[in-house]
Amino acid sequence: MEPSLKTFTIPDELCRRAGIAATWLPINELGVFAYQHVKAHSPDQPSAYGPADASVFKVRQQVILFEPILRKLVNEANGTFLSVQELMSTNSPEFKTELLKLSRQYRSIIRACLENLQDEVMRERGERKEELQNYITIFYSVECVWHLCEILFVDNIPGNVVLPHLLEWVRFHFPKYERKAAKLLAGDLVGLESQPDYWETVIGLLMQGRIEVVRALLRLHSAADSKPFKLVDQTLKAMPIYSIYSGISATEFNLKWKHWLVDTQSKIDAKLFISERHLHLMMRLSVGEETAWNEVQNHCEAWYELLAAWLFYTEPTIKSFELGQYARRCISRMGIALHMRHLDQVLLAAMESDIIQVIKEIQHMSENGWFASHLTDLLYHSGRLDFLDTSEADDLVASRLRECFLLDYGTLLMGHNSLWQVGLSYLDHCPTDGINTIELLITRLPLGSEARAQKIIREAQKRDLPHIVQSICKILGMNSLKRGRIGNALTWALKSRDSGFASVLADKFLREYSTNGKLQCTDLLDNLGSSMLVSDRLVFLGKYFELHKVYQGKNYKEAANLIVSLLASKLTPKYFWSTLLSDALPLLECNELVMSSNDTFTLLHCLEEKCNLPEIQDKIELIRLAAARNLARALTHEAQLN
Amino acid sequence: MTQNVHGTFISEKTNKIRWRPDPFGYSNSFITGSWDNDQNNIKLWNFEENEDDPDIYPFVIKNYPFEGDVTEAKFANPDYFVASSSLGSLYCLKVSSEITGETIITEERSWNKLHRSKNGDASSCTSFGMYESDIVTVGEDGNINLLTAQRKDIVRTIDEADSCSLNCVIFLKFNEILTGNLRGQMKIWDLRSNENKPTTTFMLSGDQIAATSLTFHPTQRHMIVAGDEEGSLTVWDLRQNIFPVNLLSAHSDSVSEIHFHPDHPDQLFSCSSSGELWHWITNRSGTLLNIENVETNPWFSTDSIKNKFEVFMLMPKLHKPINSLDLNRNRVLCSCDNEAIYLINNVNVYN
Amino acid sequence: MFEAQEINAEHKDLIHDVAYDYYGERMATCSSDQYVKVWDQNSEGKWILTSSWKAHSGSVWKVTWAHPEFGQVLATCSFDRTAAVWEELVGETPCPAERGNRHWVRRTNLVDSRTSVTDVKFGPKTQGLQLATCSADGVIRIYEAPDVMNLSQWTLQHEVQCKLSCSCLSWNPSLSKNHPLMLAVGSDDTNPANGGKVFIYEYSDNIRRWMKTETINSITDPVHDISFSPNLGRSFHLLAVATKDVRIISLTPIPDNASLQSGLSKLEIQTSAQFDDHGCTVWRVCWNITGTILASSGDDGCVRMFKMNYINSWKPVAVLKGDGSHISSETQRSSISSAAGLPTPPVSQTARYIKLGTIAQSREVPWH
Repeated sequence: MEPSLKTFTIPDELCRRAGIAATWLPINELGVFAYQHVKAHSPDQPSAYGPADASVFKVRQQVILFEPILRKLVNEANGTFLSVQELMSTNSPEFKTELLKLSRQYRSIIRACLENLQDEVMRERGERKEELQNYITIFYSVECVWHLCEILFVDNIPGNVVLPHLLEWVRFHFPKYERKAAKLLAGDLVGLESQPDYWETVIGLLMQGRIEVVRALLRLHSAADSKPFKLVDQTLKAMPIYSIYSGISATEFNLKWKHWLVDTQSKIDAKLFISERHLHLMMRLSVGEETAWNEVQNHCEAWYELLAAWLFYTEPTIKSFELGQYARRCISRMGIALHMRHLDQVLLAAMESDIIQVIKEIQHMSENGWFASHLTDLLYHSGRLDFLDTSEADDLVASRLRECFLLDYGTLLMGHNSLWQVGLSYLDHCPTDGINTIELLITRLPLGSEARAQKIIREAQKRDLPHIVQSICKILGMNSLKRGRIGNALTWALKSRDSGFASVLADKFLREYSTNGKLQCTDLLDNLGSSMLVSDRLVFLGKYFELHKVYQGKNYKEAANLIVSLLASKLTPKYFWSTLLSDALPLLECNELVMSSNDTFTLLHCLEEKCNLPEIQDKIELIRLAAARNLARALTHEAQLN
Repeated sequence: MTQNVHGTFISEKTNKIRWRPDPFGYSNSFITGSWDNDQNNIKLWNFEENEDDPDIYPFVIKNYPFEGDVTEAKFANPDYFVASSSLGSLYCLKVSSEITGETIITEERSWNKLHRSKNGDASSCTSFGMYESDIVTVGEDGNINLLTAQRKDIVRTIDEADSCSLNCVIFLKFNEILTGNLRGQMKIWDLRSNENKPTTTFMLSGDQIAATSLTFHPTQRHMIVAGDEEGSLTVWDLRQNIFPVNLLSAHSDSVSEIHFHPDHPDQLFSCSSSGELWHWITNRSGTLLNIENVETNPWFSTDSIKNKFEVFMLMPKLHKPINSLDLNRNRVLCSCDNEAIYLINNVNVYN
Repeated sequence: MFEAQEINAEHKDLIHDVAYDYYGERMATCSSDQYVKVWDQNSEGKWILTSSWKAHSGSVWKVTWAHPEFGQVLATCSFDRTAAVWEELVGETPCPAERGNRHWVRRTNLVDSRTSVTDVKFGPKTQGLQLATCSADGVIRIYEAPDVMNLSQWTLQHEVQCKLSCSCLSWNPSLSKNHPLMLAVGSDDTNPANGGKVFIYEYSDNIRRWMKTETINSITDPVHDISFSPNLGRSFHLLAVATKDVRIISLTPIPDNASLQSGLSKLEIQTSAQFDDHGCTVWRVCWNITGTILASSGDDGCVRMFKMNYINSWKPVAVLKGDGSHISSETQRSSISSAAGLPTPPVSQTARYIKLGTIAQSREVPWH
């Protein structure tokens, strides 16, 4: 059955009456406005809703990660994420241990964040305080779930004997008994039992498997020398505790443990502890007596507290894959099956090894995919998602699932004006759609100052996206042009070797010159260097500028050479012939002979080729005449030299 | 002594990080100027050094909201610093204490939209240089502005100083500045001249590579080192000619900042967009230490460079650009686009 | 968990279309009041009206931005049977009647249509600056600006007669040597006997003409909006259609000899998804930037979003609906001064985002 979707409301009367429509804007935001569809054939008149004040609502996802206090998570986790990817790319045989370390790193990042939040929440009031407390709840759950997942799915526990880790997990998340014990032990040690929470602490610690501390506290009881106390101490001392490193096998352990159970049970039956009801309770708990456990289950805040405790005394060698059924029993025992909080559901799913359910559930944790992306990635690399892949070689479901999360998370970050670099690094590790997504999104990053634009360009270059680099340079060039900075526009065209754009700009320079005789950006033109080769028009411009310089330096011979080469080069744009020929005129009529006969022939030849050009009609006669005279001069001069 | 690196994530990208100078020489306070944020800030930080706890935690003592990205920031003296913005403005800011003991940052002087394009849009003020109380700014509008901290009006504007955006500027002498533009064209300007033309122009390299950072040697101001957008360092001796003396292919990506150590000029520090932070030390062997003797200044030597320098990585390569660095005694501060700042202690600056 | 920022659009009637520029920093709106307004987001996140002008002599139906490589360019189409191209001039002296110094000029007026022009869209930038319009009389026109630096010159390159009245068109943004330039056109003709209402046209380089290559016969109800998805490197094209329901059609090019010769593709058409969530006519469909989420709006007054999950099936993920509650005092409405005929004072726009409430008893569906 499809659950109904969440519907979000736009607080606007007009929207309610008319209906709404939406347009997307980068990266994943919507512009929503009141809308009434009008068909092409309807009459053109004001709508039934006018006059009205129409508004556009810019709707976006609320991202708590962008809050400064949580934002550290984004960057710190990014560092760890990249370490995970690097690790996996090295194919190291020890990757499992390293992955575990990285998982712990993730958790310490969350814990650091929680500490920060705790500090802040003390200082704040009102709505802000509520908000911070909400974040604390969210990330507390995140860390709790992560820790359990780490134990069950990432850590390579020898023999799968999960209980010691489970106990550690519980102890970490329910530290109140240890704290109380510490307080008790630090205070007045005489007559400790008179402290109000003495027995509560002892029993609580017993349930957390803290046998040593329990014994220490009992020894400080004023009646510690009495028989029941001594007996309890002995019994607890003798209690076998399973450890994979103890060297004995599970079967051997079970034998020993069963002996101990029988032994202890007989002591209980013999009513040896009956004088001290707390001790009696403790002993009954330690042998797993149902009624005793029913009595204490209210000590537990959560069913998993109860679970770990109970398993310690009833199933010490339990394997991780057996947890599920016991978890369910604890839940129904505590009567919360119908009142499970979200966190409970996730933890249950984890204990039942239902990884898919875990992943489904953590998406509801409202921290915008941070948790789901990083954890799924970790699980994927730990090989825990392999079961999703069917036998067909190309049906890589696990990889797609991981990629789905990373794509979403990366895209989310790309939409933040500061965190886009982090977003890119996630998209980089999406093998199927990553690069395409980057291509679509990187061009949408607003360019801002040139410094920022250059950083964006650099990211595109790093990922081998030359067409995007060129597009960005073109846009920067157009922006410069609109601001009247044609030299800067040309620089951008040259940086990206955009010959089309360079030609267009060179044209602008030349037209400007031919209209009002001013050559702009002389500092740029003076130093084009080899970059001018990117466009023919630009080569012409560069050479023409050189001509100008040489002319002004009164080096007429050189000027003559240049002008002839320009004329002969076929690079001259039509509209510029007139100007170029006008420049040639004084050289032809110069007192000093600067143009050789060959050069003059070349000039005349070009003139003939272009004689039909309307632009030069007025000058053509003059030039012909001057050329003829120069030719005469030159020929005479050259004849004399021979 | 082993160096230790302390990183702190600060939830914003820092474009410039600067030690606050201390009259006694040993700072424990610094500023960061952010960029690319919804609301940019300049933050003044202190840090506690605990003898028992090796970890150093910097904490913010004052936050100053800033309009636009912080493109450059420099301290003029322990209480005044100047900051430029990507919205074209320049600010002189003062750090002081109230009677209550609280530290405040106030604006002493500001020049709004100092750099702007012809249509009035703001244009980024990309960099500025300071010489005593004179300030020279450059921007994307290709203009150069001369200001002085003592006067509100602009002393002089060189309009259209460059047809491309200007990236960097330093004072060579009290009346001479060097600017670099987007395509690597360097210009020397004589400020006494009334003409709006540079006295000298030269290219950083043949290929339109922009200079991204400029610095001069602490005792020999004619010696300039420029970092470019491909990661190379170029050295000039401007007294001789405008052709580079040395070209060192260094980082794998754009050089963000270069600094000579003010007290140990034989050492250079550089950071880059490829996340590298390097410490360059000239090899010591007798007379090489004598900086006054130009011929043996290793930076000017045209011989094989390899024998002249040792380069150390001050910290493992980061995966995001390092934008800025600053030096104080044997400590280096740097800031990275991963929204973290790093303090490196016990850097080997002493022989 | 959505939040929204309200921008009072100052149109005196319903808005027909809202278009954002390539970066989402500028917004253009058009309305029955015949005006086009352009808004810019300033450095503090507030939206400021930078230009407002009477663009047509009839309701303006659609407005669209060109790629920023061409500068700041808009196109509009209207009931007055024209489409127009506008360019922003960045001048030194501001126009007295306008605010700021941003001024838009009409570069060209395309008056070829004899009926209301229903849609106008710029073509993919790799093909130069091309513009397609479609009209109520079923004519599709393709214009081109041969010199992209001079936007006053536009030539009508092609005129294609579609046998039914056209309501919408969409260019296929993905281009490669493997598939030619492609347009999808939708018709809102109400007669089912007239057959399929979505047509695919392709440009054949060989014969230099636009040819109709496919008709999607599975859609016979009137089509009100159509949109190609941005291409995420897929080997097939996705087309979203707004008709009596939301349809996502996949078009897969099949290589065959005939198509190789003509340069046009033969397409295999399949309905990828069909959603009746609106329960009534769907008016608009719009893809997000990466082509991963589709937003549709319908007669039920809602905007619905659909996303593809990791096992490649489309699922609805969220719904937006208007309700009557107002945002308190943060925004001001200038209704009084406009009634008096005085120039309306600039409405203060806040940059604040407010959290959107939800309608009770619904459970959130995970995105995957």
